[in-house]
Formats: sequence, structure tokens, C-alpha cells
Amino acid sequence: MKPRLPDRVGIALLMLVVAAPVGFSLGYALLYSIGAVGLLSEGITAEHWLAMLQRRELWTSLLLSLHVATTTLLFTTSAALALALLLRRPLERGPLSALLYVPLAIPGTVAAFLTFQLFVGGGLVERWVSALGATLGIATPSGELVPMVHDPWALGIVATHVALAIPFFALLFAELYRTEAVSELETLATSLGASRAQVLWRVTVPVLLRRASTNLVLFFIVVLGSFEIPLLLGRQTPQMLSVLTYRKFALFDLAERPEAYVLALIYTAVVFLLLALVRRLPQEGGSLG
Amino acid sequence: MTPLLEVHGLSKAFGGESVLQDISLRLEGAETLAVVGRSGCGKTTLLKILAGLESADAGSVTLAGEALDPLPPQRRGVLYLYQEALLFPHLDVTANLAFGLEVRGRSKGEIRPRVEQMLEELGLSEHAHKAPHQLSGGQRQRVAFGRALLVEPKLLLLDEPFGALDTDTRARMQQLFRQVAEQRQLPALFVTHDLKEAIKMGHRVGHLEKGRFRVFDSLQQLVHDPRLGVKEEMDFWIRLERQAEAPSAVPPEEPPETPSEASPGVQAPEPQTPELQAPELQTSQGKAPSASSLDSSAPTTPAKASS
Amino acid sequence: MAEGEEKGRLQRRLLSLAVAVGCVAPVAVLILLSIATRWPAGQAWPAELTGERWGELFSGRGALLESLVLSITLSLAVATVSTAAGYLTSKAIAFSPHRHRLLLLAYIPFAFSPVILGTCLLFLYLRLDLAGTAGGVALAQTMFSYGFAVIFFIGFWTPQKQAYEELVYTLGGSTWTAYRRALLPLSRGLLAVGFFQAFLISWFQYGLTLLVGGGRVKTLPLKVFDYVREANPYYAALASCLLVLPPLVLVLLNRRAAPSFGVSR
Repeated sequence: MKPRLPDRVGIALLMLVVAAPVGFSLGYALLYSIGAVGLLSEGITAEHWLAMLQRRELWTSLLLSLHVATTTLLFTTSAALALALLLRRPLERGPLSALLYVPLAIPGTVAAFLTFQLFVGGGLVERWVSALGATLGIATPSGELVPMVHDPWALGIVATHVALAIPFFALLFAELYRTEAVSELETLATSLGASRAQVLWRVTVPVLLRRASTNLVLFFIVVLGSFEIPLLLGRQTPQMLSVLTYRKFALFDLAERPEAYVLALIYTAVVFLLLALVRRLPQEGGSLG
Repeated sequence: MTPLLEVHGLSKAFGGESVLQDISLRLEGAETLAVVGRSGCGKTTLLKILAGLESADAGSVTLAGEALDPLPPQRRGVLYLYQEALLFPHLDVTANLAFGLEVRGRSKGEIRPRVEQMLEELGLSEHAHKAPHQLSGGQRQRVAFGRALLVEPKLLLLDEPFGALDTDTRARMQQLFRQVAEQRQLPALFVTHDLKEAIKMGHRVGHLEKGRFRVFDSLQQLVHDPRLGVKEEMDFWIRLERQAEAPSAVPPEEPPETPSEASPGVQAPEPQTPELQAPELQTSQGKAPSASSLDSSAPTTPAKASS
Repeated sequence: MAEGEEKGRLQRRLLSLAVAVGCVAPVAVLILLSIATRWPAGQAWPAELTGERWGELFSGRGALLESLVLSITLSLAVATVSTAAGYLTSKAIAFSPHRHRLLLLAYIPFAFSPVILGTCLLFLYLRLDLAGTAGGVALAQTMFSYGFAVIFFIGFWTPQKQAYEELVYTLGGSTWTAYRRALLPLSRGLLAVGFFQAFLISWFQYGLTLLVGGGRVKTLPLKVFDYVREANPYYAALASCLLVLPPLVLVLLNRRAAPSFGVSR
């Protein structure tokens, strides 16, 4: 149909609100990172890129971010799948179907604060465990039980992300199980002679994962760039990409600024690659139609 | 006499792909031109251009002597009916019927009696305050039809309007349409992929394929057009009938696929389609295929026919 | 066999129970912390509970009420603008021949880390004198919740909705009539959910607010971290309650309103 005024306004808004500022800012970041603009600019140079690319800090940050995103994705997906399949009926009706919505109203800031409060040395979990131990007459180790705050493997960061995301994905998988008629497919596979394990691994799991793939990749991107949770629970080094970029930028040391932009641009490239992947995924969800 | 609708040299391409090529057609008066074509043949684009919802790359359209091209859809008096009834789910039957008159700013005093009369005419009075989801498919399509008629369009465009209905309801709606179009002397373009429906509904029948359009001058021309596959279809049934009389013979071959996807087949023309009344439809045995045996509700596959 | 089934059922019950506890416990801990006083180190339970902090909040003393009002105002404005704009844009994209490319643009604010993109955007905000102001924060947040809204509404615009719009035109209605009498009523429920979720994106936003607001625009999430840094878990919990409880009530009342990472649910 011929575009009408509201449609033209809609496209104009997209250009004004997203395309123009993002284009300008990424362009500016690129120019700054090669020394073409900026207060300390001394002409175009590859120096900042070379310096940053040779810095351990960059690679450990990238690795840490990928580690957190991958581990979070793996744990979230497996736990959510297991819950959705094991608790299919309780998830459809009954109190659990409502309770699973509670964590969806918890933001990253609050989740990070809770993890901190619960698991920091001398935190609530430690107190409760030792109190329980005392009641039962069992000796409990003092100090951190599970290293979750500033721990070297970023366990706390991963665990907090996973805890926040499991309910959402469990609900998603449970819903897909219904809408994709998975139980009919399971019956069919059984009648074709598949064992229970075969049905699970060759029908149920692939069907659900395929349908949720867009959401899973988007979740990966979100975790990769997460800020609040690693800011509070992460170590000083290495830092996740968002935290490192922010720190380099917020130091207001102008010499660090080109490096912040290099980081931002590397992150941008990674996200664009992942978004290109989303576009190649099966489109039944219509997410990036 | 100037034709009521004249389309001349209409062309349209989307992204380099030609959808309509040099289409010309006329409606002389209050007649129905049925257009047969498979999905993707460009029929929806043709109707949208006529309704002003899409613009043509080339060509002209005049309605009752007035050039339509510069007019927005609101001022064309051309109404487009879809396969889906598209009743507004937030409005009841009465409000849906009144919708067109209301957006045209007619007074309540004028709207109410006209809507009530339409409800009665369509046999929907008892459903006046029901929500669309409480109606059957046929009832919904009747409301959509009534909503269109109330704004008194100069031309009606129907895009597979009964395609989603079951066989019986479809037959009833076809009858209702013919009756109403006749009564109100309403010119219409009726697009369908079902050749039989086209012959039933149209005073004349045209064929749209790959963006090219032609109107059949006679029923004979239609029957012998190899692209429609009418002849093969008829031969199939005739052979079947012969074999039924001599049961030892092998079953006949499947007829080749015809353009009409749903239920291929032809039916004897209705008396009110003068141009299509041609003796050529008589078979070699001097017997026309009966409407009942080849109706859209009749089985179309040999397997079903033999059961 | 029957014994095995019985065991399986029991395990499922226990799992359900564990999940239920896991869902409710975080909120319970927040509420407990917000009313706890004197919780000596090593003690499993606070020595005393008090409603004083909550009372203080609603009596208008303290900085939290200010943050609450700021957060509500900011998020309402952001949600209103981004829902309306996202609705229009999603329709334009859905029926555009360049749908794929345009949608990718909307995915940038939807998927990108607000902090990293915000770092790049900050120069623009500084040039426009918007950095450090509530208006600048609102504008920056709008970009992100707008991206969300576009993707949220894109699925609504099916060929059927377009047919409804066209129907209004052929019946004689204007563009305005098509929106007012057909498209908006058809999307009323979805608009409410989209608004709520766009609200939440702003309501929960931390990094971007910190960056663009220069730490001066103190919304509730910033307050939570401020209190954590001051080692004041009780007030951090109170601020957290203010962040969590209102959306929680709404989500439980209408589950369709639940926040989502993706789009199709």
C-alpha cells in the first residue's frame, strides 16, 4: 500500500532517534580511535588500535565476557529446559505458574545487590548455614562458602544472570512445548520406534531449541554487554567489556578515551556479527523478519 | 454508450518484477466480471489498484466517465471485499454495519433505519448485538457484505470472498451475492481461483496469468483454452462414466492439473449469463454434465467418486 | 514400577517446591532487609524489625522519595514517547519493502549494551548540552525503549491489519479514522503491555542513566548502588523494594505484561 503520513513519520523517527545518533556516534568513535578528532589528536594514527590490540586487558576482557555469556547461556538453557519438561503440568496451572513470574520483575541492579548481600564473606547465606549447622550440631566452615563475589571464575556474575533468566526461558519453553505441538511429535516418534532418550534428544530438545534460537542469541548478546551485575560482583581485572569501556571512559583521562572507543567498536563488531547470525536463524518466530 | 468501468493499459512491477502487464478491461453496465487466476497471478494487485490502495506504473482507470487515478480510495466509491470478513472485533454487528456510514459523517437518524433494514435483508436481525466472534463464518461474511452495500459503492471488488467458507455456506453466499448484485444493479469484479465459481458468478469470465489478462468471448473459447484444463477434466469424467458402464476396464488416468486449485470442474451456465450460454458445452453424446454431479461439493477424485 | 512412579512424583513435588522458594525468596529477603535494624555480624536473624524506614519514605523525609518521584516521571515520559513512536515506526517498517534493513536498525538499541553505545553517544549529548540533565537521560533512555517497542510491535502488523486499514479507506475513512476507529482499538491490549515493558526498560535502567546523567540524575537503580557502596544494605533493600514491588504487582495481575528478552512469547 502507498505509505501515508504516519508511516513517513515512523521512518523519519527511526532515522532521527536511532540511525542519525548511532551513525554519528559510531563514526565519531571511529575517527577518535584513529586520532582524526579529539583534543589530544595529533593526526591520523593506528597507534591506539595497535596499542589496544596488544594489550592483555582487551583480550582478557573479551574472553571474560564471552566466558560469562557462554556459560550463562549453557546453564540457563539446560536448567530452563529441564524445568519446563519436568514441571510441565505445574507450569501450566497452579501456584508455580504464577510464582515463576516473580523473578521477571527483578532488575539486574537488585539481583546484583542480593547476590552480594547473600554471598559476600559474612553474608546472609553464611550466617544461615552456620546457624543451621549449630542447631544440628554440625561444624560448618567459616568464611565464604561459595565464592560468588569478586571470584576469579566470575561464578557470581554467571549465577546471578542464570537465576534471573531461568524463569523466563522455562516459561518460554513450556509455551513452545504447547504451541509447537511437541507432545504430538513425541508420540509420533515413539510410534516410529524411538526410545525415550531418542525422543528427548532427537525430537523434543531440538524442536524447542530451534524455535527459541532467536531469543537465545539475543540473550547471549544482552549478557555479553551486561553492566550492573559485573560492576558489583566482578573483579578489578579482568573486567567485562561494558565495565571496562565505562571505566576507561569515566576516568576522564583523555589519553584513555581513544582506547574506550576502540573497545566500543570491537564490541559493536561482535554484536553485528551475532545479529547477522540471528537473521540466518529459522524465522518462524518472526523476530528479525 | 461509455462503459461503466474502463481499464486501459495497466502495468505494475514490484522491484523489477512485472506483476501486471498492459491490462485492459471494461465493464459495460451492472455486470459481474469474474477473474480466474492462481495465487500470485497479480489479481490482488489489480484489485488494489482499482480501489486506489496501490498505484499503477502505467495505464488509466475510469469509472462512470471519471478518471480514478488522481482520486484517493476514500472518494472512489470502489469497495474491496476480502476473503476474510474483517469485522471489527471491538464492535458488535450493528456497529460494524454502521461503520462506513459513520466515518462518512452521516447522521444517527439516517444510519439507524438503514442498518436495521440491512440487518433484516441479510437475515441477521436476531444477531444485531452479537460480537463478531459469536457469528459463524457465513454470518460474518454477510455482515461484511452488508457493511459494504450500505455505503452504496459504484463498483464492488471481491477478492476470493467465499474462499474460507465451507461448501454449503459458500453456495448460499454465492446465491446471495447474485441476488443482491442483480437487485441493486451492482457492477462487480469477482476474483477467484475456482473456475467453476467464476462461471457461476460472472456474466463474463476472464483469465489472469503471469500478469496478463484476457476475457473469454464465449464459453467455447473457455472450454478449449488448454491453460484452464477444462477439456481434460471433462474427458476424465466422461471416460469414467464409460468405464462405469463397462466395469472390466482399467480406471482412467488422472486429469492433468488445472489452474483451479480447489475443485476443478465446470458447471452448466446459469440462465442469467447470456454470453456464456453456448451449445458447444454439449458433449459428443449430446448430454451436458449435470450441475449436481460436478458441483463443488461433489467428489473430485476417482477414489472418492468410486466410494 | 508403581514405586518408581511414586518416587518420580515426589521428586517433582520437591523440585516444584524448590523452584517456588527460589522465586519468592529474593523478594522476601529484600522486604526483610528493608525492615531490619540491628543485625549484628554472625547473627542469622535481625535483632529487631522496624517500619521506620518505610514511614520515613512516605512522610516525605529523605532522598528516596525524591528518587521515586523522579523515576516515575522519567519512566512514564520515556514509555509514553517510545511506545507511541515505536508503534508508528513498527508499522512503517512492517509494510516497507526495506523491512529487513530497517529492522536491523531497531535491533541496535534493542540488543546493544546501553553503556557501550552510551559511551559513544555521550559526545553528542555533551555537544547538545544534554549530559547531566534529566532531559538528556530521558532522551537517551527513549532511544533504547523505542528500539524495544519497534521490535515488540512488529509482529502485530500482519497483512490482516493492513487489510483492516485499507477497508477503512475504501469505506470512506481518513488516515486518522483508520487509526482511531480500527488500528488502535485492535491493538489496545498490546499497547498496554508494550507501554508497561517500555516503562520497565527505563525503570530498571542503570548504566546509561549513570553515564548520561553523570551520576547527578538519581533514579532508583542509582540509589540502590549508592547505598550498596555506602555499605547500607537496609536502605539499598528499601530502594530495591520500590523498584521491584510495583512492577511485580502488575505482572502478577496480568502475566502477559511480563518483561521479555526476546520478542515472540
